[in-house]
Amino acid sequence: MIEWLNKNWLSMIAPAIVFLSFIVVAIWARRSLFNYLNGLFTKLKWEGSEILLQTTKAQFFQWCIILGAYTAILVSTLSPQGKVLAGRIIGTIFVISLTWTFLSLAVKLLHQYLRKIKAPFPFPTALIINAVRITFIVVGVLILLDIWKVPTTPIVLTLTIGLLVAVLASRDEILNIFSGFQLAHGDLIKIGHYIKLESGEEGYISDITWRNIQIKTPDDKIIFVPNSKFTKTTVTAYREPLKKATQAFRFYTRLHIKELTGLKAKNLSELVNILSDVPDSVIYYHTHNFIEEYQYLIPQPANEFALWVSDVIGDEILAEKLSNIDTFEFSTIGELRERIIAVINDGLSTRGDGRTAFEGREFHFIKSVSVVLTTPYIAHDLREFVEALRKVSINSLYFHIFESRLRLHRGVNDFSIWLQDSLDERELADKIAALDPYNYTIEDLRSIIIQLIEERIK
Amino acid sequence: MEKAIFHHPRAKIQDYVPIVGRSAIEELRALAERLSGKVIQNINSTFTGGGVAEILTRMVPLLNQLGVDAQWTTITGHKDFFDVTKKFHNALHGRKEDISSEDFSVFLEVSKKNIEELRFGGDIIFIHDPQPVALIAKKKELGGKWIWRCHIDVSNPDNRVWEFLRDFVIEYDAAVFSAPNFSQQLPIRQFMISPSIDPLSDKNKELPSEIIDSVLNKYGLDKDKPIIAQISRFDYLKDPIGVIQAFEMVRKSIDCQLVLAGGTATDDPESEKVLEEVREQASGKSDIHILLIPPEGDIEINALQQAAAVILQKSIKEGFGLTVTEALWKGKPVVASAVGGIQLQVKNKLTGLLCHSVEGAAYAVKRLLSNKEYAAWIGKNAREHVRQNFLITRHLKDYLLLFISLYYPSDAIYL
Repeated sequence: MIEWLNKNWLSMIAPAIVFLSFIVVAIWARRSLFNYLNGLFTKLKWEGSEILLQTTKAQFFQWCIILGAYTAILVSTLSPQGKVLAGRIIGTIFVISLTWTFLSLAVKLLHQYLRKIKAPFPFPTALIINAVRITFIVVGVLILLDIWKVPTTPIVLTLTIGLLVAVLASRDEILNIFSGFQLAHGDLIKIGHYIKLESGEEGYISDITWRNIQIKTPDDKIIFVPNSKFTKTTVTAYREPLKKATQAFRFYTRLHIKELTGLKAKNLSELVNILSDVPDSVIYYHTHNFIEEYQYLIPQPANEFALWVSDVIGDEILAEKLSNIDTFEFSTIGELRERIIAVINDGLSTRGDGRTAFEGREFHFIKSVSVVLTTPYIAHDLREFVEALRKVSINSLYFHIFESRLRLHRGVNDFSIWLQDSLDERELADKIAALDPYNYTIEDLRSIIIQLIEERIK
Repeated sequence: MEKAIFHHPRAKIQDYVPIVGRSAIEELRALAERLSGKVIQNINSTFTGGGVAEILTRMVPLLNQLGVDAQWTTITGHKDFFDVTKKFHNALHGRKEDISSEDFSVFLEVSKKNIEELRFGGDIIFIHDPQPVALIAKKKELGGKWIWRCHIDVSNPDNRVWEFLRDFVIEYDAAVFSAPNFSQQLPIRQFMISPSIDPLSDKNKELPSEIIDSVLNKYGLDKDKPIIAQISRFDYLKDPIGVIQAFEMVRKSIDCQLVLAGGTATDDPESEKVLEEVREQASGKSDIHILLIPPEGDIEINALQQAAAVILQKSIKEGFGLTVTEALWKGKPVVASAVGGIQLQVKNKLTGLLCHSVEGAAYAVKRLLSNKEYAAWIGKNAREHVRQNFLITRHLKDYLLLFISLYYPSDAIYL
């Protein structure tokens, strides 16, 4: 060994000096470079600077040593084959170190940035980080194989095909992500907007994610529309979120059953006598029953007193006067009853009792027993209100327009009260209050009110 | 005592959405929720034949689907008992019947047996028609709410029979009648609930023309000649002889054919006799077709109604007249007597034409046969009138409201 050193010390000294020089330069360069970077990052206030410096500071010294070793081998007297082998070994160590370092750096930076993204990400964080790790490792392995002259083309080809297949398989997902990016950063659609899709779905945008847009429909369902589909379809965007009511409007419905009183009149005197004593619900029934029973007829038949007086008693003059009583003028059943009685009394005083009804054709007094129920429909603004209005039953409309107005002594329909008190929509409230509901079918009323509100929020 | 078991409900409640709208079904569910935990026991006299059994066959499964625990049981009785109840039925319709004190004894004796043997099990006991009316004697022991549902026209009843039954009726919590003029002076609450038809039943669903044609072929009817049809049980109260007389008046000026089609019910021993008389009256007249349709012949009844140009219902007395409702639902112009519940369905000149005599029926039929546009307009109104007021969904709603109302005395109930 000593003999070998005596013979070859001159060929050893040059690589050793080169190697030691690299160490000295490395110590100096690391200090200077990292001091400079520290200063630079302090100025830039980059959040990832600490991670970058911590991860690369120790590694930088290792890379200098590896470079020194490689240079020393190049200036050494090793055989060409020996240099190649040593170069590949050092190259391998360098690639492994470099890969490891960049991998650590990428993972730490990803952690740092993914934490800050508030919008739900289409993939779990672990999946993204693993994908990055795999990418770095694959690239590192490919470089190592290249260093050791192993053919990489088939591997690269296989990986490329695999990647293409994966991209094709998840193209919808990728399209969704791109579309989501486009939507999230665009100004046209925002959370809270009311939209209507070409396919008919409509509602408020409740969320925009990387994958889909969530639409809350007026009946409280959530529809998920993939972003890619959303950007391809025709979307009608209405206004910014409408003004919220100070108090939500809850739609009720009212169903009624007919209760027979057992009372019947066979002439006008009996009719007027019984009318004076029956409960309000009887008067209400006989002046409103036609609205529901003859929905399909325009105009609907008049109140049942007028019909009976015409068909059975045959007093057409009195029947006309009774038909002409405008229920809309009265805000209480009591006032309406008084008017009906006055008209019949007037007829009695001028023309007497007239005919007596045949058996079986008497006027039977019926009362309406109402059962009032809540519905699932609630409106917080005009848009929700109009959408609910489309869906509620005619019984619900009946309750809010007729029943509340007259029988419950409200004077005005419920809709107008809410529009004025909770939304400060005085003009709209007045327009609806001015509609004489007795001149329309309930379905006509529904259409007219919807139209009025649509015009207001257009 | 028998108990109805429904293995295969024919229609799902959801199936009615296209006909009456989603909101109507939502309302039924909301009402049914309020009856959660209550058992409703329907009791009548037969599972087959007649309007009551037909309605219950459909109502009970639908109530179950809505979450209401509705059950159906029948009383039992021998032929003598049903002969007596048939007499009661006719007498309540105002017909003179020879009812002996022995008949009342038979009624009470069978009722007593049923009271002892019947298994009661409802929070609400819903008794249909006079046959089981005496079961009310059990109320004191069982408690609960008891309702008497009168399906027949009692506007002008035989006093002896009505007074006999009234003693039972006034013990109920409520009585239900099909029309306002059926109501009586009673010290209990009285409700009005019209019967209904099921638009999805074989009797009322739309049929392809091939089926209609095959039924016409089967019965030897000429599809190119206008058909005047009366679909009813063979019963004096349906006046089938009057229908033949009216047809013969029409036939003098318009070439047409008459179909009298119907069946018999297990609780109607008189049907055979009536059928025989009708056959005799029609014998030798090739344009008059007397068809005895078996209880399972609903499709055939439907086809005959759909093929008809005009449908007649010339009843002398009528509870409600479901065959009229069926005809109206099919958009057919109807000529019907102004009796009983028919007047609720046929608004003269709007949803049909009312008559009061054989001559009136003949005149109305001629008007409709000779003015097709008018007939079509009346038919269209008729269908909408039934959609609004006489479909099974409205009937379900009324029953649910009735059950709820029993627990609240006021006119406005907030649930």
